[in-house]
Amino acid sequence: MSHQLLPLRDLKSRVLEEAQTSPLIGAFASDDSLSYLFLKPAGVYDLAAIVDGDASSCAAEWPLLAWDEREMHDERNIAFAGYPQPDPVVTGRGLTTVVVGPVHAGIIEPGRFTFTTSGEVVVNLEAQLQFSRRGVERRLEGLDAIAAARSIARICGGCSVSRSWSYARALEAIAGVTCDRSAELARVVLAELERLYNHLFDLASACSGAGFARGQMEGLRLKERVQRLCAQQGGHRFLFDTIVPGGVSESVLFERPALRSDVRALHGEIEAYGASLFATSSLVGRFERAGTVSAEVARAFGAVGPTSRASDGIIDVRVFSPYGAYGELQPVVATAREGDVSARVRVKYREALESLRLIDCVLEELGSARIANPHAIEPRNGHSIVATEGPRGAEITCVDVVEGRLHRLHVISASFRNWPIVVRAMEGNIIPDFPLVNKSFNLCYACADR
Amino acid sequence: MNRFERSLGIRNLVCGSCNGCEHEMNALAGPDYDITALGWDIVASPRHADVITVTGPMTEAMEVPSQETVEAAARPRVIVAIGDCAVGTGAWSNDGSGAGTWLGAAVNVVGCPPSPAAIIDSLARAAKLL
Repeated sequence: MSHQLLPLRDLKSRVLEEAQTSPLIGAFASDDSLSYLFLKPAGVYDLAAIVDGDASSCAAEWPLLAWDEREMHDERNIAFAGYPQPDPVVTGRGLTTVVVGPVHAGIIEPGRFTFTTSGEVVVNLEAQLQFSRRGVERRLEGLDAIAAARSIARICGGCSVSRSWSYARALEAIAGVTCDRSAELARVVLAELERLYNHLFDLASACSGAGFARGQMEGLRLKERVQRLCAQQGGHRFLFDTIVPGGVSESVLFERPALRSDVRALHGEIEAYGASLFATSSLVGRFERAGTVSAEVARAFGAVGPTSRASDGIIDVRVFSPYGAYGELQPVVATAREGDVSARVRVKYREALESLRLIDCVLEELGSARIANPHAIEPRNGHSIVATEGPRGAEITCVDVVEGRLHRLHVISASFRNWPIVVRAMEGNIIPDFPLVNKSFNLCYACADR
Repeated sequence: MNRFERSLGIRNLVCGSCNGCEHEMNALAGPDYDITALGWDIVASPRHADVITVTGPMTEAMEVPSQETVEAAARPRVIVAIGDCAVGTGAWSNDGSGAGTWLGAAVNVVGCPPSPAAIIDSLARAAKLL
């Protein structure tokens, strides 16, 4: 059972009870109902209630819900009794406020950051996002559900494949169709290529945040190699539109022998890259104990992806709630306990190598077999909530289809979930370390703002 | 001195892009495309900019900040619309309008996103307008 409808007055107590045993991953409202979402091995489970009065806020107990409940209040006019008041802005003698953004000095998405500092040390940071808000959910309502896939692939460039995959799975569940094995295998290759170029960019960006140009340049070189592989194997440097409802687009993985030899060569190059970074003591010195996220903060704020796994978390949707071909592939989950920049960098480095191993395994199984054309699916009516593991963590797509059209779409991105944690990670660090700490997460604004 | 007259200072303005165009703009600073070899650089102040690149369809929240950046740039300056959304033909463009049309771009480069090579080509076209 993936859905349970409760009276509104019982919702909070059931949510708190359920959260003791299953990871709470978000909440959203649709028309007159309200759902809290949990990740279970069998998929996403939701506890829902019809909104016939004030809801009871769960954000005090689970700070991860603070943004979700505020969003429901702002967008759907749902009142939450007991919603925690924001922390008082830090006041005191000798404190200075520094505001940057939304336009930045480099090539960075728009956000405004307000640092309160006693000189060097940040005593409080507020992040104001939503400058990239396009209102994608409302804009897509009423569109043909299949045709909307092209727009959904463009909500966020860096998470396109994982989001397309979660949307495709939602429509396939509604249509009652399963994909061919060859298409499921191809999807793994595409999603792992996406993880790979993102993680390499994150390693390059962490080096840039520490002012280590050689590491940045080598990371950018490796990222470019992977993006050229994406163009060769999927016809697009970010693999947009390669995962489609019903399967994969018809022109993917045509040059598999070349991909296989490139993947093996890349494995050696990335290992050498990692070894050179971790042997550079001045760089490691910047990474260690910077931007620490404790296991408690990670859990309370619902950290996902490498952000969680670098702070003693273990959940990787590919393994916790397997989908596609991941059940048999059994990805090895990379974890660390320290929660600092170093831990996040190491987790991403190990995940990059694991992505290459998974691609190699899949190519072995696929051989030269033809990849099935996508099924022409017809999702008519239904509701489905699906999670995939993107480069930054769980990418959750909530879909309601009525008469073949999108009735409600809600995107809970890994970046949306992790952003409040970046703010926490800066406390006690110095302002000049913000680029380093921020880039060790390298979250998107586009899919957090939507 | 003639050798330097086509050097460009570039300021990037993100107005609701999906970040795909930013990934490709970032590649310009990497070893494969290295625009510093052309005498170009991404600059930290609009006062240093000859070119303002804009991405995205334009969002309500960026209307004022983006205009302030354009006004703060020293003259002469050229606005370049990077990618379908900014040009007005992208997934999130508003009725054929994007951040580039909104801010009065003189050069357009299409693509979702355009490749780094296409972006470099558009910047070279912008340099000729200065």
